[in-house]
Amino acid sequence: MATVGTRHTPEDRSDALARARLRAALVPDLLIEARRIVSTVIAGWHGRRKRGIGETFWQFRPYVAGETLAKIDWRRSARDDHTYVRDMEWEAAHTVWLWADPSPSMLFKSRSATVSKESRALVLTLALAELLSRSGERIGYPGLLKPVAARNGAERLAMALASSHAMALPDRPQLDMVQRHSDVVLVSDFLDPPEETLAFLDSIAKRGTRMHLLEVADPAEEVFPYAGRTEFEDPETGVRLTAGRAENWGEAYKTIYHARREALRDYCRKLDWSYAVNRTDRLASEALVALHGRLTGQPSTVPARGAA
Amino acid sequence: MFGLPLTFAAPAILFGLVALPVIWWLLRLTPPKPKTEIFPPLRLLAKVIKHEETPARSPWWLTLLRLLMATLVILALARPVLNPTADITGGEGPLALLIDNGWSTGADWDERIAMATQLVEKAGDAGRPVALAYTVAPGNADVTLTNAADLLPALAAATPLAAKPDRTAAVARLAAALEDAQQGATIAWLSDGLSTENDEETVASIDALEPTEVLVFDGGIDGLRAIRGIDNTPTSFDVHVQAPDGLAAGTDPVSVSAFDEKGRLLAENAALFADGSAETVVRFDVPFELRNDFATLRLSGQQQSGGVWLVDENARRRRVGLITGQAGDLDQPLLSPLFYIQRALQPYADLVEAETGDLAVDVPALIEQGPAMIVMADIGVLPEAASRSLVQWVDEGGTLVRFAGPRLAATAGDDTLLPVDLRIGERSLGGSLSWTEPQPVAPFPPGGPFGGLDAPREVSVNRQVLAEPDLDLVSRTWANLADGTPLVTGTSRGKGTIVLFHVTAEATWSNLPISGSFVEMLRRIANLSRNTGTVQTGNSGVQGEALPPYRILGADGELTAPPAHVRPLDAEAAAAAASYEHPAGLYGTADGFVARNVLSEDDTLVPLGTPEFQATTASFGYAMGEESDLRGSLFLIALALLALDTLAVLWINGRLPFSGKGRIGARQAAPAAVALALIAVAVTFAGPALAQDNGPPAGDERPGDAEIIDILETTRIGYILTGNPQTDEITEAGLSGLTRFLQSRTALEPAPPVGLDLETDELAFYALIYYPLDTTAEMPSEAAISRLDAFMQGGGTVLFDTRDQLTASFSGAAASPENQRLRDILRGLNIPPLEPVPPDHVLTKAFYILDRFPGRYDGSPLWVEAPTTQEALEGRPVRSGDGVSPIMITGNDFAGAWALDESGRPIYPTMSADPLQRIYAFRAGVNIMMYMLTGNYKADQVHVPALLERLGQ
Repeated sequence: MATVGTRHTPEDRSDALARARLRAALVPDLLIEARRIVSTVIAGWHGRRKRGIGETFWQFRPYVAGETLAKIDWRRSARDDHTYVRDMEWEAAHTVWLWADPSPSMLFKSRSATVSKESRALVLTLALAELLSRSGERIGYPGLLKPVAARNGAERLAMALASSHAMALPDRPQLDMVQRHSDVVLVSDFLDPPEETLAFLDSIAKRGTRMHLLEVADPAEEVFPYAGRTEFEDPETGVRLTAGRAENWGEAYKTIYHARREALRDYCRKLDWSYAVNRTDRLASEALVALHGRLTGQPSTVPARGAA
Repeated sequence: MFGLPLTFAAPAILFGLVALPVIWWLLRLTPPKPKTEIFPPLRLLAKVIKHEETPARSPWWLTLLRLLMATLVILALARPVLNPTADITGGEGPLALLIDNGWSTGADWDERIAMATQLVEKAGDAGRPVALAYTVAPGNADVTLTNAADLLPALAAATPLAAKPDRTAAVARLAAALEDAQQGATIAWLSDGLSTENDEETVASIDALEPTEVLVFDGGIDGLRAIRGIDNTPTSFDVHVQAPDGLAAGTDPVSVSAFDEKGRLLAENAALFADGSAETVVRFDVPFELRNDFATLRLSGQQQSGGVWLVDENARRRRVGLITGQAGDLDQPLLSPLFYIQRALQPYADLVEAETGDLAVDVPALIEQGPAMIVMADIGVLPEAASRSLVQWVDEGGTLVRFAGPRLAATAGDDTLLPVDLRIGERSLGGSLSWTEPQPVAPFPPGGPFGGLDAPREVSVNRQVLAEPDLDLVSRTWANLADGTPLVTGTSRGKGTIVLFHVTAEATWSNLPISGSFVEMLRRIANLSRNTGTVQTGNSGVQGEALPPYRILGADGELTAPPAHVRPLDAEAAAAAASYEHPAGLYGTADGFVARNVLSEDDTLVPLGTPEFQATTASFGYAMGEESDLRGSLFLIALALLALDTLAVLWINGRLPFSGKGRIGARQAAPAAVALALIAVAVTFAGPALAQDNGPPAGDERPGDAEIIDILETTRIGYILTGNPQTDEITEAGLSGLTRFLQSRTALEPAPPVGLDLETDELAFYALIYYPLDTTAEMPSEAAISRLDAFMQGGGTVLFDTRDQLTASFSGAAASPENQRLRDILRGLNIPPLEPVPPDHVLTKAFYILDRFPGRYDGSPLWVEAPTTQEALEGRPVRSGDGVSPIMITGNDFAGAWALDESGRPIYPTMSADPLQRIYAFRAGVNIMMYMLTGNYKADQVHVPALLERLGQ
């Protein structure tokens, strides 16, 4: 008899990109809430309606002594006797770090799921990348892609993920490069014991970044449809565990499984981070919409079923 | 083996069963292969699963299946044989058959004989000589060793008898036959399964034969039930039924049927065995006239003579009339001369006492009841009419028992109802002026009615009446004193008997009445008597002589003509147990017989068990099944279980295609399937029992009950629908208004009123029905008026409202159309006399104090039933008269005045501008309703102040 869950081969990343595009097309242009714009000035598409560092022309103003000469707009100054300085509109681009869990535990797909968790996580990551790039945000991938603002950010990310370099990524994201006021989207199954995950999150919380956790869950992990004598194998460590009557442990397992999720959710709520769940037997766009809502600062109007 | 005819050819292999626990342990240790599942949240799961379950256990049912398989294989290897037959071909010496053919063998005699025949035939094949002895056989029966073939005809002709087996004698006969035998014999004992008191002796004497082998055949007596005795008590006919000792609890009840002499079923009853008790009593609570017709009692389902009890005349109850001459005796029962007689006869007879003390009345009244025996205590002179009827009664077969006493002694000379002539006066024995001593009783003459009874030695007689010496005196004397004077004399007269006790019935002349013998003597006399009211076969004169066999009870429980070997029953044989020469049955003639039964009062049924012989012993049953080797079937079952086990293992490991979807809970499903199969089997057997339960549904609910309950739950006022919508609307509104008024002012909270179709609706649910008369409506049919009449007769009240006060007052004397309609309706009703409500009527005080009952109109009187009696009209504040008036008639249009719209305002104006009139109209309605529901309660309440005043409160 077929087992409930199977180990899945890693997703073809370019194919994942195509599907991510498809998903992203379903979501309106993503405009990141510019509530906390970094003061580290990096031009973006978010005009601040005031003078500052940016790419778009804002105003000419008379040169004040003491300013760098390099700022003088000679072309304008040549039109009359005064010296003008060209001011730019202060534009701030937001940096969003994306990360999809590459651990073997993601390569799991049960019978009732449509795709493996890894596949779902990649699709979600790339779809986000596509959305964010389209709206001019800077996207980065810790350890793989430095923050870049480009229309083809998603393609770049896909390329990077398809490279051999991506295969050597550690199981935990290297968030050293992440700076304050950046957003970090972690797509993972968060199946490590909650205390480990929380310790990890604590270390990030100190940086002042804003985290968005998206848990990709397989229905088999939630429902625990196992019965009878069953040997469970951990895809990460290979540890085996035999349950004589698996159904006897179902209730207790479910309790601890949901307790873990609640612990993470509570932690995120406390820090005003977001936490969403996407089951692989549901549509990816559900999670995408929910995440989109959180990134734009508007909670999804529909209490998303799949993202709850 | 386990109650089954099962033996093992290789019983040593059964020790293999000892290994079962080991197998069980091994099976529990070997787990089925687990299925491997990849499970990412393993670290979470690992927290839950405390310890790794290695080794895991097989499911219990799988273990059970495998253990069963192992057991079956072991059993099969032990070569079980079903229905093993005794193998006697191997022996050398003669075969001695000891066959129990006693009372309990009738049911399965054929099986026993078939078994015996088989044994004899086998012995014949093996060339062994055979001796055959029956346990119920004549004392001089000849038992010899003969050729087997010669015995077969005799064996086929053998019959069981309704007698107790004498095994010792039978073994002695076998011993005589085997004396010359060269080699040790094989003894085959075809027992009846019952233990007797001399079993040990039997076993010892069989051992003394030094047999090589003893084969004991025992069919078991679990199903055996026997009647041990009967008890014809004053109130019921008790049958004592005996079951084998050690009867399991919850056995089936026994059922006893009573038949009369012609074999007609008279009564049938059943009783249960109490837990642990081997006996029970089946009780017939039927009149004693019917009980006296009982001739045979049969246990249903018992085809043997122990299940039959023959009843003779002795067991029947007789009606005994008691007469004393003194009316005063009746008032002082403890001093009555009849007291001891009553106490003596109570258990055996039905006593009828004289009621008035006037002999001229009592004697014919007693004889009217057809008693078997009349006891007269010290009666001197009988009135002529009484004497004549007594003489006639005795001539027709009655038994008259008289006791002496002062009165009899004084008038003995001219009394015709005496067995002997008496001297006038009594004889006093002992005392200061006499040389004689108080005399004891001499032994009873053996040929007389008291023959066989022990004479009471402690009895002494102080006074007696003396008989004139006569030639016949000796033959008429039933009991003597030690000096030869008669104590009891008796003679037959016509078909009847006259008996005289020469002493009093109380303990003044002798202490005979307080001795135990007195009871026995009276009982003997009572047994000699016969009920004169019913046609009975008598049995007078059957004592003391040998009785020829009349009908003999076969061992199968049927009465048959006596075979030649049955001897007449004399007293000695009657005291012994039923035997070959005197088996159970009826002895005597068709006119009079005594019944002889197999069992007696203290017999019990004890299973034989396994007798311990010195020689090798083998036990067998009688069941004649084909000997069959069970090895094949056991192996087959084990093989089937193996296949089942394979399937189960495949299922557990998920290799069965159909287990794919139902993966979850498959483990539970398997035991559930086993349980389902068991339930299916149980239901198959319980099916008939369940089917019987499909009787009528419980409860007595009928369709429509809910509606009736709905109507009855709260009080409602009913009104008759006239068919005119306008009138009906007014009525509905009016009664609703009254209902609201009642709800606000009184404790009564009626539900909305109900319109009734006089033709169809049930009226009985309402206390008051308002009937507005409408001339535009159709006259109700006769049937409807009759329904109305029934309603009024049944306690209901109809309030007729002609609503014509206004028009009637103008039209003068001529009846208004409404009035005419009312008269038409009332013509079909039983109307009591009517009167306008008098000022002291309850209606004027039921709730409000009222002097008039206005509606929309005022002036029309309210007519109610007039009291039929005029008693106590004056001086009372209110008329009490029971019963509520079934009819009230008014013309004031109540409903019109009561009618309110939704906001509670009146719909129709009253004919007077006085606003109080409507108030009064409502009050009238309240009073009428209260009068309906409380009746005359208020009339009584009115007296309370007067009563309290009188009590000084």
